[in-house]
Amino acid sequence: MSMKTFNLPDLGEGLPEAEIVTWLVAEGDVVKADQPIVSVETAKAVVEVPAPWSGRIAKIHAPDGTILPTHQPLVDIDIEDAEGAAPAAQPAAKPEPAPPAGREDSGTVVGRMMSTEEVLEDTAVAGRRRRGGAAATKAAPAVRALARQLGVDLARCQPSGRHGRVIAEDVKAAAGKAAAPAAAREVPRVTLPPGTPQPLRGPRRAMAQSMSAARDLVSQCTIFDDADIHYWPPGQDITARLLRAVAAGCRGEPALNGFYDGEAVSRQLEERVDVALAVDTPDGLIVPVIRDVGRKSLAALREDLNKLKTATRERKVKPEDMRDFTITLSNFGMMAGRYATPVVVPPTIAILGSGGVRHDVVAVMGGVETHRRIPLSLTFDHRCATGGEACRFLAAVIADLALPE
Amino acid sequence: MARVTLIEAVTMALGWELDHDDRVVVLGEDVGVNGGVFRATAGLQARFGADRVMDTPLAESMIAGMSIGMAAQGMRPVAEIQFMGFIYPTVDQMLNHAGRLRHRTRGRLHVPMVLRAPFGGGIHAPEHHSESTEALFAHMPGVRVVIPSSPGRAYGLLLAAIRDPDPVVFLEPKRIYRLQKQEVEDDGKALPLDTCYILREGDDVTLVTWGAMTFETLRAADELSKEGIRAEVIDLATISPIDMDTILESVEKTGRLVIVHEAARSCGVGAEVAAGVAEKGVWDLQAPIVRVTGYDTVMPLFRLEYEFLPSVARIVAGVKQTFED
Repeated sequence: MSMKTFNLPDLGEGLPEAEIVTWLVAEGDVVKADQPIVSVETAKAVVEVPAPWSGRIAKIHAPDGTILPTHQPLVDIDIEDAEGAAPAAQPAAKPEPAPPAGREDSGTVVGRMMSTEEVLEDTAVAGRRRRGGAAATKAAPAVRALARQLGVDLARCQPSGRHGRVIAEDVKAAAGKAAAPAAAREVPRVTLPPGTPQPLRGPRRAMAQSMSAARDLVSQCTIFDDADIHYWPPGQDITARLLRAVAAGCRGEPALNGFYDGEAVSRQLEERVDVALAVDTPDGLIVPVIRDVGRKSLAALREDLNKLKTATRERKVKPEDMRDFTITLSNFGMMAGRYATPVVVPPTIAILGSGGVRHDVVAVMGGVETHRRIPLSLTFDHRCATGGEACRFLAAVIADLALPE
Repeated sequence: MARVTLIEAVTMALGWELDHDDRVVVLGEDVGVNGGVFRATAGLQARFGADRVMDTPLAESMIAGMSIGMAAQGMRPVAEIQFMGFIYPTVDQMLNHAGRLRHRTRGRLHVPMVLRAPFGGGIHAPEHHSESTEALFAHMPGVRVVIPSSPGRAYGLLLAAIRDPDPVVFLEPKRIYRLQKQEVEDDGKALPLDTCYILREGDDVTLVTWGAMTFETLRAADELSKEGIRAEVIDLATISPIDMDTILESVEKTGRLVIVHEAARSCGVGAEVAAGVAEKGVWDLQAPIVRVTGYDTVMPLFRLEYEFLPSVARIVAGVKQTFED
């Protein structure tokens, strides 16, 4: 017989006592180490106490309902045959000085050693020495900060620094800032009349920079038309339908979904449709992105829109949720405005603007009817997309919007 | 192949080396008859005799000094200090003699000794038993500092430390002495020193840690993977000299570095890792380096011990910080 007494441990809260709620095992049961054996209520919670050793429950000292002081005997466990309970075998060559009776070898002289039956699966690899070959862009932190400030993707910068590093000039070049520094100097500086000018901040500042880049870099061309939504049943979600229509446009004409690099004269069309949605806020224009619009149902799009609305209102849109879009939608007609010339933000190729829904008198089969229509304005970068492509895109948008559901 | 705890792996390595190299001796307080405060030397005196496994008086400076003398004259002493809190009398010996004898004698003498000590908190011991002052020894030229984090590495790295021709301070994370078991072959095969061990590969963030903190760090990596963040976990293993190449390579891939250590923050080994990456890896960093560490205080008594030690939650929060703009 090898009997061990397990005392009620301090359950980590420094409490003097605990109430035994239920025994999960009975005398005579065989338990494994770490198996819960009793549930105990402290002032804060009911916790399950695991068996400290494998063995057979010999005697339960405190039945259900007992309030037991900490460190008082809880249960006796007979560990005679239990696996792993025997102390590490030592050669019996000479008699060992016997430890004082009743004292357990806890593996330490102070404190308490934690021990589990957990078996470590270790797949460590001694350090590799395989310098080189990694693909990440190299740039100093200040250059990364500049890129973030200017809204430039570092990966799209042409590195001109030593060892292929992107330097500040590369970022400015990509942002269209340093494109013509000499010419820029010739532009007379605007002087304001006496007063206290407020520097633009946050989203408004970002808008100023991206719109300047758009003006300097993009050949903007805009097409106007209307989508007839007369056959819509009540309750259609206009914004979600517009998003779906953008995806339909991209399917109909892929040439407008993607990016164009004017300096490299190369375009990169994307299959996935990530739509940036221009949202007006008191702080300025915020343009959060709805991902993979082509694969989402109207309901899923609405869910994304609601999430964005909350995030935008609380100014909690994460920077990564405002980056890497492939096309833009500006739903501007809430207050007024029928058509517009929305501005393409480089390096994307197109932006669709939708004005306010209105009742128009339309000619139908020789007669006249009043239909609800959405006025649409599509601006595209004429450097890399043709007018025909833009019209095909717009036609696909209109066709999708015209569907009843 | 035996399934052993970290402390049993230490015993196994000592046993192997005592058995295969007559120059090896084990010495320290209570390492012989008693088998050591944490049972690291249990049974060794019975196997190898009191000449090979020696109980010493309570005099740590003497234990280190005697080891240096024996090592310089061709033996391979492995000395045990009972707790890191008692190691400080050996600092003079290690800094002034062990680390510089090779230099001072122009290579005529060298000091192939190992100074073993358990370190770190988490076992509800008094505070001076619980601190992690590995940086003190990492700062000493000529002294290697090695910290295992698993039974397998305890075995392989201790063998390598004993066979190394120069002094090694071998610090054992006592919190995980008996926490997990691992299949370890008692085959006398050493693992390389001066290299990191990559415990998990990932592309999104590099987590560098050592000792008992590998346990929390791997769990933090599990948590992060649920959120789609794939962390690379690197065990420093040799604290001095640091294998910066492996870390730099990893940071080149991930662009983010979080260092986790149990020791107080200021002037810890984490600062050295951060400095190394700042010097050579800054071009790859996507975010500032984050350190998740103990605090610049005396180790608290045990009720607050786990407030002091970095938790899984603190590590996860530290990683997320590197993803903020």
